[in-house]
Amino acid sequence: MHISEGVLSPPVLLAGAGLAVLGTATGLKKMDYESIPRVAILSSAFFVASLIHVPVGPSSVHLVLNGLLGLLLGWAAIPAILVALFLQALLFQFGGLTVLGVNTVIMALPALMSYYLCRPLVRRKGVVALVGAFTAGASAVLLGALLVGVALVTTGQAFLKAAQLVVLAHIPIMIIEGLVTVFIFVFLQKVKPEVLKGIYA
Amino acid sequence: MHKDLVLRGSPIIMSRVLAGLTFLFFLFNATPGWSHRVLIYAWPEGNTIHTESKFVPGGAVRNGEVKVLDNKTDQLLVTGKTDAQGKFSFAIPPQALAQKMDLRIVLEAAMGHKAEWLLKAQNYLPGTGDSKPSAAPAGPSTDSQVAAPSGSSPAPLDRQTLEQIVDQALDRKLAPIMEMLAQSQTHKPSLPEIIGGIGYILGIWGVAAYFKSKRNKVS
Repeated sequence: MHISEGVLSPPVLLAGAGLAVLGTATGLKKMDYESIPRVAILSSAFFVASLIHVPVGPSSVHLVLNGLLGLLLGWAAIPAILVALFLQALLFQFGGLTVLGVNTVIMALPALMSYYLCRPLVRRKGVVALVGAFTAGASAVLLGALLVGVALVTTGQAFLKAAQLVVLAHIPIMIIEGLVTVFIFVFLQKVKPEVLKGIYA
Repeated sequence: MHKDLVLRGSPIIMSRVLAGLTFLFFLFNATPGWSHRVLIYAWPEGNTIHTESKFVPGGAVRNGEVKVLDNKTDQLLVTGKTDAQGKFSFAIPPQALAQKMDLRIVLEAAMGHKAEWLLKAQNYLPGTGDSKPSAAPAGPSTDSQVAAPSGSSPAPLDRQTLEQIVDQALDRKLAPIMEMLAQSQTHKPSLPEIIGGIGYILGIWGVAAYFKSKRNKVS
């Protein structure tokens, strides 16, 4: 879900960059010293997730992990995502430097949503927590896809058609992403519960 | 209890889910939107220009829109759509030949993916630097030339015809190599690059930690 360079108009690029700067500043302000290693590791995980492509059918899929980042990091997910996207643009020409802001917003806004909406669920016990984790993973991908649709409307593509295509294309990945988020959540709860400390705090 | 349940049942669930997902893919036959970079490359063969479009990593761009523009004036010359293999071929437009245009070939795939390839005039014009473009096809002229020597003495082919014959043969032989060269531009992320990227990220956050720790001491 990286928008290529040269697709969007300057006002959209500027708006995206502005939002990304604001979000990053807020994220950095809210981040305390102890959480930096966690942010660094999840930032790397986000960076790698979209590089590893698993062939499924005639195509290939990869993880996004923005829901998980939002769940675990809250506002600090924004600088984490920005850094990862910056390096993807620099090393692999995924997206690009001028669209960096827009792409950050596309990935980070869903992360914030999963922070505010799904974290309360994940705090509870039992199935509710698992449902919360699944929702965080799946809905973050969905919202990201919708945001791509919104960004593309400004290029003159009809929103419904663009959004339909983007959402349809992401249904399989939403399911996978939801399951993987549950997986990682359960795994962390068993093996490294201190990583989840932020959630319960 | 729930945790155990999820962990133990997961391989079976996952394999079922994967099977279901494969089905979904065939159902929707959707363009791979999760691929990250899109590429188009072009190479000439005789009077045609072939293009191929790809997601990297991923695969062919199906139904992508290809536009061929004059690089100088942005005049739209040809439009078309890629086929199931991501290929699209077109005859070189006459005005491009006449004005020796550099062709800018733009691919617009779904979901905000866009790529360009610049095909310089000297790379597709027949007989580089020749004042006479191949207005007359090589066919008839060679026939007359070949027919002549059979009569009496073997008259040498004239320079221009010979050049045209060689050009054609070279085009035919070189087309696959041109395609390979163009293809070699597709570059998948390699392991060293990925590991390097992780290193950079940890480094950047290390610097952040350094500044945070300084501020902590001051305050």
